[in-house]
Amino acid sequence: MSTTQVHANLTDAQVREISGNLEEPEWMLETRLDALEALETLDMPDVIRTPGRDWTNLHGLDFEAFVDPLNAAEDKDQVGPEDVDVLSWGDALAEHEELVREHFGSIIDPQENYLTALSTALFTTGTVIYVPEGVDAEDVTIRTEQHSRSLFNYTLVITEESSSVTILERQSTGTALEDEQYYSGIVEIAAGENSYVQYGSLQNLDEDSYCFTAKRGETDTYATINWIEGNIGTKLTKTETSTLLAGDSSETQIVGAFFGHNDQHFDLDVKVWHRAEHTTADLVTRGVTDDTARSVYEGVQNVGRDAWDTSSYQRENTLMLSDESEADASPKLIINNHDTEASHSATVGQIDEEDLLYMTSRGVSPRLARNMLVEGFFVPVLEEVAVDELREDLETLIRERLEN
Amino acid sequence: MSSEQDHLKETDTEARFDFKQKERSAVRSEKGLTEEVIRMISEDKDEPEWMLERRLRALKQYHAMPMPTDWPGQPDLSELDVEEIVPYIRPDVDKREGVDDWDELPDDIKDTFEKLGIPEAERKALSGVGAQYESEIVYQNMQEQWEEKGVVFMNMDQAVKEHPEIVKEHFMTTCVPPSDNKFAALHGAVWSGGSFVYVPEDVTVEMPVQAYFRMNSEGMGQFEHTLIVAEPGSEVHYIEGCSAPKYGKHNLHSGGVEVFVKEGAHVQYSTVQNWSKNTFNLNTKRALVDADGTMEWISGSMGSKATMLYPCSILKGRGATDTHITIAFAGEGQDIDTGAKVYHNAPNTKSTIESKSISKDGGRTNYRGLVHIADGAEGSSTAVECDALMFDNESTSDTMPYMEIEESKVDVAHEATVGKIGDEDIFYLQSRGLDDDDAKKMIVAGFIEPITEELPIEYAVELNRLIELEMEGSLG
Repeated sequence: MSTTQVHANLTDAQVREISGNLEEPEWMLETRLDALEALETLDMPDVIRTPGRDWTNLHGLDFEAFVDPLNAAEDKDQVGPEDVDVLSWGDALAEHEELVREHFGSIIDPQENYLTALSTALFTTGTVIYVPEGVDAEDVTIRTEQHSRSLFNYTLVITEESSSVTILERQSTGTALEDEQYYSGIVEIAAGENSYVQYGSLQNLDEDSYCFTAKRGETDTYATINWIEGNIGTKLTKTETSTLLAGDSSETQIVGAFFGHNDQHFDLDVKVWHRAEHTTADLVTRGVTDDTARSVYEGVQNVGRDAWDTSSYQRENTLMLSDESEADASPKLIINNHDTEASHSATVGQIDEEDLLYMTSRGVSPRLARNMLVEGFFVPVLEEVAVDELREDLETLIRERLEN
Repeated sequence: MSSEQDHLKETDTEARFDFKQKERSAVRSEKGLTEEVIRMISEDKDEPEWMLERRLRALKQYHAMPMPTDWPGQPDLSELDVEEIVPYIRPDVDKREGVDDWDELPDDIKDTFEKLGIPEAERKALSGVGAQYESEIVYQNMQEQWEEKGVVFMNMDQAVKEHPEIVKEHFMTTCVPPSDNKFAALHGAVWSGGSFVYVPEDVTVEMPVQAYFRMNSEGMGQFEHTLIVAEPGSEVHYIEGCSAPKYGKHNLHSGGVEVFVKEGAHVQYSTVQNWSKNTFNLNTKRALVDADGTMEWISGSMGSKATMLYPCSILKGRGATDTHITIAFAGEGQDIDTGAKVYHNAPNTKSTIESKSISKDGGRTNYRGLVHIADGAEGSSTAVECDALMFDNESTSDTMPYMEIEESKVDVAHEATVGKIGDEDIFYLQSRGLDDDDAKKMIVAGFIEPITEELPIEYAVELNRLIELEMEGSLG
């Protein structure tokens, strides 16, 4: 049972008002109301636990203070090329109700945990991206700037057979906000047969904010879902990025980069479920922790009994810049089919003293040398970022952080 | 391979492990865990009051703690009913402290250990042997040359009486307190038998000492306690082996091992566990390692229905070192959940963990490991390597490492791989005239070789034979 009780302040009436404003059909209102009711019995998302210790304390979140669904406000850009539908929720329900009904909540169960249910009950903004059969699209951009204490966002991506799309999502905080904020985002991707989805996300919220996101995709036969997950902002982030490889010969790559300083806490879950034959996964994450920042990384490669001929690889590397920071990692392999090649690795270390000495002996200042080595550390991950714009943004944010 | 229609081959080695003797007991406790049972055990052992008090405190803690059931992917313990387990059986032998001549043992017990090859091994390669039957040590011997140097190797019950100061200080106090986990508490309440090893300063015991634990009775629990104190600069290698025949009811083995590695000392602890496949094997094994000390854990886990065992080293002195080498082999109906725990609590400490596992016929192996590097443990390094080999699609192999790193000046690396047995390798060996089974055995032997080469030769041979038998599906 969750010890954080927020629903005392939340009512059916509020949920009905949100749903009414979006002119939602009855089935969607029902889904929201069911999620609201389930809050009483649902627990927080799983966090890594070892005896006597929760690695991330979600129960410490003060929802009473920041959940304020009726005053949600944001600036949003959601644009894409002509042959792709990039729609707000209201427009999506008007144009593609059956499609939304089929996929909404089908990949992430609204009642999976307390925070997904909260998101489902309360989301006021979001995007539906529909890529018709055979369409190749680049440059779908979603930019969300939060202007209210809490913001609940929902993104649904549906790609038809043999289509492809690149989506870039950015989250940031407006300048006028004081106090703590809460951002919650759910992303579901249904990748149709032989389609290709590249979904990049860059979270750069204010460092007084808390963030929960769940991003999950499901692949049909021959489909590919590639995720890029950049985390820079917030005081505390709990995020899961995952792919369910449900179709034969489907693939996924998850590339992650994070940089924590001050007292930031990142809890990053990267997961893949191999549920079909000949599927491939490649998970790569690199991060830096400085000051008293803390990173918690859980990577799971789960190979099901029927997932013949699986290939699955995972790497996670953390660079620690200070003695007071903490880097925790648990890369898990769960293997039920023997026709599998799988490996994972994780390392934690600091900047190599010899490299530093070498550079300072060549006249580079210690500070600059450190910055160059940190930038160099991210290179193997940045190289995997197939979207130029996102890569450049990430590089800029990393550089800014190093210079502050 | 081990399906019902399989012909169970009668081999020497199989007969060595899977035979039963009629139960012989002088004293047999009631089932379950009550204060009366604890008092009875303590009284039967004629223990000092302080030990009874520790037992009773542990019993209280046991009752206050929940069963561990919420670990991700942990073995199913629902069939284990501790209240149905008989915690104490004193075998019917003349001398309470055990005999020091095999010939003095009753024929069937002597026969048991002879079949297991213990007397033979003692003559050939060991400094001392302790042999436990059910709850008590029945044979104990230590070669004179070591006794003269002040080395003590005796059964734990006797040590409580003869070395009360050392035992009082070390027994379930700082290393494995009963509050550590439910089964440590259980162990603290009902422990019986086991070994006490004391090695004085700067003494090197060149030949290993060995203890062998045999569970013979149906539905019993065995709770031997091993306490090793290695004074500064000393060196010792302790080997334990265990087995039990198979019965319909479940047996429980819940041992406790505490190792104190003082400054500059070196302790190697080797186990080959081959409990029968109805045994729940839930142990707590831990070492406290002072500055420049070295602790080496070597384990082969072959038997049991379910094993939960994560030998732990706490590196509390600067420059302390830990090595873990583990092999797990799970066949039909087995769930072997094992790994390693290392706490780096001082600067310049070092650990290496090598783990290999094999699963076949629906067995499950899991590596569950925790490496913790405390703030201030600068210059520490750890390397963890896990490899899993799987035979078939009914089997499962998981790796669940946890790394908690609070210090930046460290070097931490974890790697794990999972693969199936290589079709090409088998094809190649077959083309050289080996049949399918022999080819597989050879590939497995090659897979675990990096580990068996660390074992004393007798153990390496035994382990290889056990694995061969396991692959023939002929062990009970």
